Amino acid sequence: MLEYAGGLINLLSSGAVTTIQIFFLTLIFSLPLGMVIAFGRMSKKKWVREIFKLYILIMRGTPLLLQLMFVYFAPYYWIGLNWDRFIAAIVAFSLNYAAYFAEIYRGGIESIPQGQYEAAQVLGFTKTQTFVRIILPQVIKRVLPPISNEVITLVKDTALVQTLGVSELFRVAKNESSRIFSTSPLAVAGIYYLVMNWLVTKALHAMEKRLSYYK
Amino acid sequence: MKKLLMSTILLVMAVALILTGCGSSNSADQDSWTKIEEKGEFVLGLDENFPPMGFRDENGEITGFDVDIAKEVFSRLGVDLKLQPINWDAKEQELNTGNIDAIWNGFTITEERKKQVLFSEPYMENRQVLVVMEDSNYNTLADLAGKKLGIQAASSAADALNSAADFKSSLGDIIEFDDNMMALMDLEKGGVDTVLMDEIVARYYIQMKDKGYRVLDEALAGEQYGIGFRLEDKEVQQKVNETLTAMAKDGTLAEISNKWFGEDITIIAK
Repeated sequence: MLEYAGGLINLLSSGAVTTIQIFFLTLIFSLPLGMVIAFGRMSKKKWVREIFKLYILIMRGTPLLLQLMFVYFAPYYWIGLNWDRFIAAIVAFSLNYAAYFAEIYRGGIESIPQGQYEAAQVLGFTKTQTFVRIILPQVIKRVLPPISNEVITLVKDTALVQTLGVSELFRVAKNESSRIFSTSPLAVAGIYYLVMNWLVTKALHAMEKRLSYYK
Repeated sequence: MKKLLMSTILLVMAVALILTGCGSSNSADQDSWTKIEEKGEFVLGLDENFPPMGFRDENGEITGFDVDIAKEVFSRLGVDLKLQPINWDAKEQELNTGNIDAIWNGFTITEERKKQVLFSEPYMENRQVLVVMEDSNYNTLADLAGKKLGIQAASSAADALNSAADFKSSLGDIIEFDDNMMALMDLEKGGVDTVLMDEIVARYYIQMKDKGYRVLDEALAGEQYGIGFRLEDKEVQQKVNETLTAMAKDGTLAEISNKWFGEDITIIAK
């Protein structure tokens, strides 16, 4: 029994490595991309605003599962491009999460009172300086709690990539479960996700604490 | 006194039940087909959600490969056929309680099941076949060494692959999908080099929508399908076997198989 538990942990850990890779790669690409989309969404030009609005609508308005399949298969039907399933998964996740992050950033940026921009202008700050030095630090503090929500959801959403045949934690657990006809691998997978999210929550809390320097 | 009377009555009733019970099963042994003829209809139990063997078409009518064969068999035998959708998990109970007269719907013959049901001759074999693209140059299992194989996770194909350890270890990579359709889409796109799946499902998909797939002649061992009757219904089983053999000989089986799978994959009288 104990021997089997060791084997199960080894097996699930191999799946968890893929899960963790997807998690970090998605964050690395989607967090900055979200900022670009937020700026587009707040652009002074109406047509730019409308394009980004449509992008956010599509990304938030269709299932991520469908987006995964679309990103993986559509390029083949258009231009015959046969690209890697793992790369497709990262691209789909990044595009999707960036849309959510963009709206969170926008909320944060728009919550900063107009008076601060005016004050900065009077003090001789350029537009870029105003944003980077005055606005952004406050925005980061404000958006951290809603970002945490998304990040925690991302850990669990990674299970969707099995649709493309990427063998991640949940797929490995399901296979093992049907092989030995027992639900225990699924329960152990649940513990894996819980531990991962506990670590993520701890890290985000630590960041929030560090940033609460005016309190 | 009262107690004694009660137990005597119960005993008499029990004996009577056993006797009549024995009597009826004895007669069923002899003339199970006569009983069907008296009833005027044969009730066939099937899972209505198993294309292409048995399923509901766009008009809600039950159709399929097995259904077409069953219709022909019982029209030749001169009995009405009633299609009864059942819960597949309760198929043996449905059969033994007499709600249905046979289980006929891609029913795999196993040693375990032979103890509970009487099987007809196996009428088709469901091998695990390898689907490749038409323009690829794979022709044997050996050609697929080091290649990527797509498969439906936790399917009978996966079981067959696990049994074929040599072939499995010769492969480069095994990619698992939720369903066969995704695996075939990935094959078309070039994400995998071959897909291992049920022959009947593969042939059915190709027959429905040929995107340039090809099935290798070499395949992994599969399972055989038969019709399941009650253990005592030997006469019914014999009648159906005879009719199936006749249908194989006059080409009717081949015709039905061609309609559903694009070629004759039945195995009766061959």
